[in-house]
Amino acid sequence: MTRATTTDSDPLFGRDPSPSIQAREALDLCHTARMAGGVLGTRASAPGLDAALAFIAFLFAGLGLVEMVLTTEPSRASAWLLILTPLLAWIYCAAGLLAWRRRPSNRLGLLLVIGAAAWLGAGLTGAHEPALVAAGLVLATSPLAVVVHLVHAFPSGELRGASRPIVAFGYVVALGMQVPLYLYADAPAPYDVLAVADRPGLVTLATWVQGTSGALVMVATTVVLVRRLRDVEPRRRRVLAPLLGYGVVAVLMVPFASHVLGPLLHLDDNGIDVTQMVALAGIPVAFVLVLLRGGFGRTGEVQELGAWLSSGPGARPALAQALAETLGDPTLELWFWVPGRERYVDGAGGVVGPLPSGGHRGLVEVELGGDRIGAIVYDATLLADPETVRGAGRVVALALERERLTAELLGTREVLRHTLTRVVESADQERRRIARDLHDGLQSRLVLLGVEAYEIETDPTASPSLSQAARRLRKGLDDGAGELRRLVHGVLPAALIERGLYAATEEFVAQLPIRTSVSFPSGGARLPAAIESAAYFVVTEALTNTLKHAYADEARVHMELRGGRLRIAVTDNGVGGASPETAGGLDGLADRVAALGGRVDVDSPPGGGTTLLMEVPCVSS
Amino acid sequence: MRVVLGEDEALMRHGLVLLLERAGFSVVGMAANEEELVGETEHHRPDLVVTDIRMPPDHRDEGLRAAARVKARWPEIGVVVLSHHAQRGVAVDLLRDHATGIGYLLKQRVADVDQFLADLRSVAHGRTVIDPDVVSLLMTGAPRAATEGLTDRQERVLGLMARGYSNAAIARELSLSEKSVVHHVSHIYDILGLELTPDAHRRVQAVVRHLSADRWPGPLATSHRIDADRHG
Repeated sequence: MTRATTTDSDPLFGRDPSPSIQAREALDLCHTARMAGGVLGTRASAPGLDAALAFIAFLFAGLGLVEMVLTTEPSRASAWLLILTPLLAWIYCAAGLLAWRRRPSNRLGLLLVIGAAAWLGAGLTGAHEPALVAAGLVLATSPLAVVVHLVHAFPSGELRGASRPIVAFGYVVALGMQVPLYLYADAPAPYDVLAVADRPGLVTLATWVQGTSGALVMVATTVVLVRRLRDVEPRRRRVLAPLLGYGVVAVLMVPFASHVLGPLLHLDDNGIDVTQMVALAGIPVAFVLVLLRGGFGRTGEVQELGAWLSSGPGARPALAQALAETLGDPTLELWFWVPGRERYVDGAGGVVGPLPSGGHRGLVEVELGGDRIGAIVYDATLLADPETVRGAGRVVALALERERLTAELLGTREVLRHTLTRVVESADQERRRIARDLHDGLQSRLVLLGVEAYEIETDPTASPSLSQAARRLRKGLDDGAGELRRLVHGVLPAALIERGLYAATEEFVAQLPIRTSVSFPSGGARLPAAIESAAYFVVTEALTNTLKHAYADEARVHMELRGGRLRIAVTDNGVGGASPETAGGLDGLADRVAALGGRVDVDSPPGGGTTLLMEVPCVSS
Repeated sequence: MRVVLGEDEALMRHGLVLLLERAGFSVVGMAANEEELVGETEHHRPDLVVTDIRMPPDHRDEGLRAAARVKARWPEIGVVVLSHHAQRGVAVDLLRDHATGIGYLLKQRVADVDQFLADLRSVAHGRTVIDPDVVSLLMTGAPRAATEGLTDRQERVLGLMARGYSNAAIARELSLSEKSVVHHVSHIYDILGLELTPDAHRRVQAVVRHLSADRWPGPLATSHRIDADRHG
């Protein structure tokens, strides 16, 4: 069924449903956008939709009651059967409204309401007013066309491919081929109300043509559905196949019940009618149940995206997954646009696209502020209308931009980490160079100046006062050299430069006033210089904190190399409860470790001692 | 007295050579890295090797390794390791592996020329000389079983013993009579459970070795094993 047909068959509501659906979708989007942070629009009136649906419900309830009154005549034997038709209309209407409310952007709800209208129309054949009977005759078989439409449009609500001509032809068979039957009817009053001539031959021919055409529609429907089901994943096929099969059988039931089932089961006309009615009444119930609970249709509407967006980042599944669930396409992908490279990348940063032409994948671009930021790639056989995808895309544009930046960031993070590592390494090299220069230059010069002062001091020709001055000078130089030694030790201890992390740690620990045990990897191979420095300063800072704050009488340093990582634990049996203030000196050190790709954690429960854990990727050199 | 000097830094090397030559030492060979030092020593068989710890190519502990190689091959050659910094571990390693003729001095001591030259001669004669800073490193830290029970004075005597002081020198340094020093020393020996030997360098060695032993119950290797087990 084309959109135009929908509009034509929608006189009941006095408005064009398609624009109204689009408007509602737009409002839904605004609603979600507001929930997502109030950036994109104003609040929509979800109550407005409810009011409209309530109006439709009342309208159909009223019309059904009126029809029951109009068609009920106690004298007629099958009078109670006529009540069944408005009942059917109510069932279709109720199911349709439910689906409409829960899935506002899916047209199946509207289609079921149209089906309800068709049933009401067909039921008019039992009225007493000739004009109403005439309407009833025109619409007598239209419900079947609606059911065929339903079967084709399930579950997306859209018609695609061969379904369009088949459904259109179905409406031609139901409405068009019906025309000769009432124009040339050889029927008792009031069923001859539209008859212009009595042409029994023509009626027979028309009946045959309609029957055959109807059969053709059903055969074509079956072929299309079987072909479509073949491409569907097994889990969904198990639900869809029986449902669509039921739809086809229910339609076939109409001729089948009277010609085959009736004689076979010895049913009277009433029995046949009831069988048909029950079969057809089950359709909206089954379809709506599967639509809402089938687990493969849209499990959420666009509003749910808003709820998702406003939930905390920790509780969120990935954006693509949220979109996939909302739109009911598990294969949905998000691509991110990289402006500089003019191509798409996926969440992991890998280059994707373009889509092969002629495939069943659809692509909708997502824009933010007029710039392309990404694309939603979906299964076009599941989501027939790109507008729905586009709408969802508008809602998630901001979040997608965020994920795009994240993807971009992931790409640059590695580069950044390498840069940071190099910065820390070169800072460490610089420290070593400074320490060496101070030793080789200044320290040596001070020592040699001391030697010269000694020469003057002990020169036999020097006056006693000069000798004394030289002695003071030598003492001063010695003090200066001692101070410089302590300074250089602070920059980088000699033990660390000369004998490495383990020796330097032992050196430090040996001077502690509390019992401290150490354990190192066997072999004692040297580690990369920057790691040795960072680890040394972390350990010594931790032990200094232990001395200052922990009131511990025992500490332990454990280092191990495993799986390409250096792990260090510094533990004490002190009071615990180390706060960031007392561990302040560790912040900068933790940054250095982080720059080397590692981390530092401090666990310090009150009364439970303090444990510092450090871990850093490391290959011994 | 013939000396091979291991020092890569030009200024310091020049100063040392000047100092040694003026004091009557004969600097027969100079080296700027580990291999050169071992090679020069092999070539000249000097009385003494004086070496810096850090040398090319890595400026780490090349001098220490060279010293260990020299002492292993020619135990009779005295080796003095010079360093800008005092490290407990270096002293421990040197004293553990080599019984006699070893010295470990801060470069800063060079300016105290008389004492420095005396220390060099001591080592060349097979004695052991440890820098006072190193000795204090060995004696600080957490109280350990070894020095528990010593009085302050006894600890000072022990420190001077470790530096190679004779009883007479200790007596002068602490303004005591030599007799009371002997008294202190025998007390220290009793408390530490050391064997009394008249040999000055032996007693230094014994004291230092004792002090540099791991401070916690059992040797270092044991604590390694326990920790390794505990941490999986």
